[in-house]
Amino acid sequence: MLKALDISTSGLVAQRVRLDAISGNLANMSSLRNERGEIKPYQERFVVFQPDEDVQTRDGAQGVKVSAVRTETVEPKYRYDPKHPLAIKQGKWKGYVAYPNIDMVTEFVDALVATRAYEANLGVMEVTKDLSNQSLRIIA
Amino acid sequence: MLPSLFDSTNIPILQEVASFTEARHNVLAGNVANVDTPGYRLRDLSPETFQQRLREVLTERTMARQSPSPGWAHAEPGDPLRHARDSMRSITFLDGSDVGIEQQVTEITKNQFMHNLAISIMGSQFRLLQTAISERV
Repeated sequence: MLKALDISTSGLVAQRVRLDAISGNLANMSSLRNERGEIKPYQERFVVFQPDEDVQTRDGAQGVKVSAVRTETVEPKYRYDPKHPLAIKQGKWKGYVAYPNIDMVTEFVDALVATRAYEANLGVMEVTKDLSNQSLRIIA
Repeated sequence: MLPSLFDSTNIPILQEVASFTEARHNVLAGNVANVDTPGYRLRDLSPETFQQRLREVLTERTMARQSPSPGWAHAEPGDPLRHARDSMRSITFLDGSDVGIEQQVTEITKNQFMHNLAISIMGSQFRLLQTAISERV
């Protein structure tokens, strides 16, 4: 019964990592340089989950873990702004600035989904605790 | 007289369980308090070690009960449950800085359940004793 708490905890941790990634995506919506300072717009991060065999009951119920944080490679969003210091100097996109291709609405919805999933795991933990306490009432 | 009265119940064992969970709760509370401390290493008391020791002690006690002489069990020096108590002092340091507050709170919840279990059973044992003493149902 208490293994169910471990499984729910793995869900909590996974959803928190996902929420962290979404916060990072939103915070870097206008980052035009990458972490090394090169002029390259930020690419969206995605958290990929997989079942965790380390958190497993004998019946085969499995917890979850973060298998990878993937970086998307999509075309940047080009905005025309020739006076911008980072505007593209030559080629097809001359005078344009490359912005990260991040949709704020999608990120917000993802953040809501992650929050609800976190709450769902908390709810399951409450149910598990309630069940254990009910069992305790049998003997005492 | 009182020790022998309690020896016929599970109360001494439950007392060990309750003091173990109390000690472990303190250690886990320290982990939560230091959740943002740089370079902090998680501390824990191993419930597995404790239960293993307790099991060994209980096996010894059962063997002693079966001894032909009634005084033999009391002849051994000291409290046999002291071995179980030793596991409370061996704090293990866990590596892994990515372990978050969720795991710690879950461990605290499990520990609390174990404590509640011990205390509840202890309560019902005392009620049984009281019923026997008062000679009323």
